Amino acid sequence: MTPRPMRPPIQAPGAPSQIYFEDIELAVPLETPGMTLTEAHVALFGGLAQIMAPRDPEFVPDLLPLCLSSGLGWRVPRPPLAVLAFMGFEWRFLLPLRVGDTIRSMSVTNTKRSLREGGVVIEERSIVNQRGETAQSGKLTLLVAKRPKP
Amino acid sequence: MLSLPLVSSPDGAFFEDLKVGQEYTSPGRTVTETDVVLFAGLSGDYNVLHTDAEHMKGSLFGERIAHGLLGLAIQQGLASRGEPTAAHGCFTGIKWKFKGPIRLGDTIHVRSRIAGLGDATTPGHGLVTMERQVINQRGEVVQEGETAHLLERRKP
Repeated sequence: MTPRPMRPPIQAPGAPSQIYFEDIELAVPLETPGMTLTEAHVALFGGLAQIMAPRDPEFVPDLLPLCLSSGLGWRVPRPPLAVLAFMGFEWRFLLPLRVGDTIRSMSVTNTKRSLREGGVVIEERSIVNQRGETAQSGKLTLLVAKRPKP
Repeated sequence: MLSLPLVSSPDGAFFEDLKVGQEYTSPGRTVTETDVVLFAGLSGDYNVLHTDAEHMKGSLFGERIAHGLLGLAIQQGLASRGEPTAAHGCFTGIKWKFKGPIRLGDTIHVRSRIAGLGDATTPGHGLVTMERQVINQRGEVVQEGETAHLLERRKP
């Protein structure tokens, strides 16, 4: 039996597996793929968080799109941020979202501040619907690791 | 401004029933590994902080921790078991701090207080500002912040 050829590594050689504090570029906008909000999302989220079902079954709980945007942020053409901790956020709810709406998340980092261990990064994020209207937006403060010393 | 009110409160409290300084304490809930795995699956956030036990042994926290936004979602469900704004209102804004980790097996509850009552731009509604704290079994505040909600006014 001939041995199978080695599978190529998923990560291109030399490409960073994570984005560290030093690697973060300011004012570079990132846009995620879309995600259609479904009854399944609402049911799973309602069950997990015990968010009571409103009378309108198409109603999307306010906090669900924000939670989904953190996963959408992993699907941009860039390695993930080396986040040490999520420190806080400020958020505005501008338009209601309904089952059937398709959201995308747009983000940009305009502020970063170096600390002894890691650095603080402020990400501005908007969740937009299929018509391009901003449904929710705000600022997230993250503690990001510095590149490990060789 | 929210263009249409989505949540009505025929069985619940109306804006006029609330007073600044009213306080609410929720029941507790133990945050489990299952909660964290389900939240990773639902949100798509598979950060090693929440999913890689071996990696986290060498981290700041020493073990996997719950997603901050899972804690936020769970506290909203807990708060809705008593706080009228959580049960019957809708959000207009949040300012939130993650002050410490929620570890798998921690039991959290919510203490909240009505901090402000004001007019809303959405017709038929008032604006309620709450101060909320998420507290673990050791009495440590792990999350806290200010939440703003629309709550329906009584029909004239």
